[in-house]
Amino acid sequence: MSTSPTPAWQLVTRREISTRLTDRNFVIGTGLTLVLLIGAMLLPALMGGDAAHYRVAVTEAAGQRIVQQTEGAFEATPNPLGSNEPPTIEANRVPDRAAAEATVRSGDADAALVLSGREWQLLTDGAPEPELATALTQTVQQAMLARNAAAAGVTLAELSSGTQVAGVDLAAAAGASTRDPIVTFFLGFVLAMLFYMAALMFGQQISTSVVEEKQSRLVEVLAAMIPLRHLLAGKVLGNTLIAFGQILLISVVAIVGLRFTTLSIDLTGLTTALLWYVAFFVVGFLALASLYAVAGALASRNEDLAATTMPMTIALVIVLIVGLQATGTLQQVLSFLPIASTVVMPLRILDGDYALWEPIVALLLVLTFCAVAVWLGARLYERAVMHTTGTLTWRQALRLTEE
Amino acid sequence: MLELRHLTRRYGDHLAVDDVTFSVPAGQMVGFVGGNGAGKTTTMRMIMGVLAPTSGEVRWAGRPATAADRARFGYMPEERGLYPKQPILDQLVYLGRLRGLSTTSARERATELLTRFGLGDRLRATVETLSLGNQQRGQIIASVLGDPVFLVLDEPFSGLDPAAVDAMTALLREYTAAGVPVLFSSHQLDLVDRLCDSLVVLHQGKVVAAGTSDDLRRDAPLRYRLAMATDTTWVDEQPGITILQRTPGTVVLQPTDVATAQRLLVDAVARGTVQEYARLVPTLADVYREVTTA
Repeated sequence: MSTSPTPAWQLVTRREISTRLTDRNFVIGTGLTLVLLIGAMLLPALMGGDAAHYRVAVTEAAGQRIVQQTEGAFEATPNPLGSNEPPTIEANRVPDRAAAEATVRSGDADAALVLSGREWQLLTDGAPEPELATALTQTVQQAMLARNAAAAGVTLAELSSGTQVAGVDLAAAAGASTRDPIVTFFLGFVLAMLFYMAALMFGQQISTSVVEEKQSRLVEVLAAMIPLRHLLAGKVLGNTLIAFGQILLISVVAIVGLRFTTLSIDLTGLTTALLWYVAFFVVGFLALASLYAVAGALASRNEDLAATTMPMTIALVIVLIVGLQATGTLQQVLSFLPIASTVVMPLRILDGDYALWEPIVALLLVLTFCAVAVWLGARLYERAVMHTTGTLTWRQALRLTEE
Repeated sequence: MLELRHLTRRYGDHLAVDDVTFSVPAGQMVGFVGGNGAGKTTTMRMIMGVLAPTSGEVRWAGRPATAADRARFGYMPEERGLYPKQPILDQLVYLGRLRGLSTTSARERATELLTRFGLGDRLRATVETLSLGNQQRGQIIASVLGDPVFLVLDEPFSGLDPAAVDAMTALLREYTAAGVPVLFSSHQLDLVDRLCDSLVVLHQGKVVAAGTSDDLRRDAPLRYRLAMATDTTWVDEQPGITILQRTPGTVVLQPTDVATAQRLLVDAVARGTVQEYARLVPTLADVYREVTTA
């Protein structure tokens, strides 16, 4: 009968994508996110753009040497955050303590390093710069230890021998991959947060898109023209692709941006886990999209969406919190439960406590869940179309599907 | 040909559509007439399959209509709607594609029709920037894209200016000339009278009259107006005559049959000067009023 060369769901998907890409709000929103992200990464570098420069007044030649050694120490240990440039330090020889105090008070020097009897003193006007004070103190300690050692007839190396404790990682020695439990927890948490944020950001978009035809009253024309499951599937797919595009763009910018800062996370040895993580995220997201499509199917206008998506958002938060903290059998069960599995299975993989079939089965379960959700959504949608006004509750809707 | 057989839709205790049976033959334009709440829209939605009938069936080409059949019906629903933020041409192309046209032919046909309806310079305009009348033109075009085999149009003329009504009429004529049956509803009886090959009058969910407008007029009760220079009160006593209206010198009456009417004329001529004795041909509006108040 129909000579349609392209399946309806593909046409719907394409329309979703092209209308979104030409939507000014969407383009501006995405651009703004990227600008903020780049700004957030550049800001520390810009703020700390000029490396700190300290001026220290000294009264002795010894003080001058200590200040010079401190500069060397600054160069050896780069600043962990912000600027790559190490701070610089400059010694300013003054005749006596009184002159040193005057220089500090007048602000011509940040601090003065003076010898009072056998004791080194750091004179500052107010609290000292922690960075400067720490560095100078360490240099003085090293210099004095070396001098005392020489006086006692031993070298500094001899004096400090046996004071170090070496760490031995047995797992590493046995050739097993080592995973920092902090990193594992951190990754799990980041995954859950990303998933939750993606749900909040994009879930609403999908519901809005699903309710669009009802809002614009185009639904009767489409309902007579194509099967509604095609409409729903196309919307879920189109919006999912848009969301991934956006996430990918943000990730690429973030990763490239991080290269220009000194921030970094060591992810070596987590590659397998990360691949699973991506797989679960993609499929889990599709499941979420299907659920939010059902929520959209329940509403007849945009104004009703808050009511129909709320129970889902709450359920999602509970699942994520429980999923993150679950252990033992509960964790194993949750790692197969669609949606929850998105967060829980990658955690088990990170722990290394899984058999290969487990994540595969979990992924297949999520995909089945998506198909059922789209089917259910289409049925609800069909019924809700006839409800020209008002909102269906989840309970009413499920009862309708039983008819 | 589209046939409705005993189509019924019940909402709770309310019978919105009650045992409706009629057909729309190939190449014919059938007007669907009835007051608000008569059940026209409900019937059309059942024809399109967006509402399930409580009982009865919709038949196409001699068998129950399928979803595939309905995918080729052009439909203009009562609740108008297009995507507000999408340019009119783009979404007509999209709708044409969903109907199975190629992008090129959908674009060509939509551009041609938009130009024909005076929107040739607004192809890129988003729907929300178009006037309601222009949105309605877009809606009409949407319903005829993709070579529909049957057209269901719910109040297609409401809100259109006379030029658009003419353009629309000419377009529909092209489809009926190609053998496509058209069913449209309207409140504008003069328009229905002018356009339709036949009409169906729906009242409180029931078909109260159906046929060509001539048929309906012929079925209307006989009425005559008699005007005399002399008194007409004598008419009151004549057997088989009902007086409907009386003014000094004229009377509107309803005889039981033509023979009675003839007899009355003979009497009248005998009694004085007959100025006028005319058969009153009812307008469609009269017929409509008659059948819906019965």
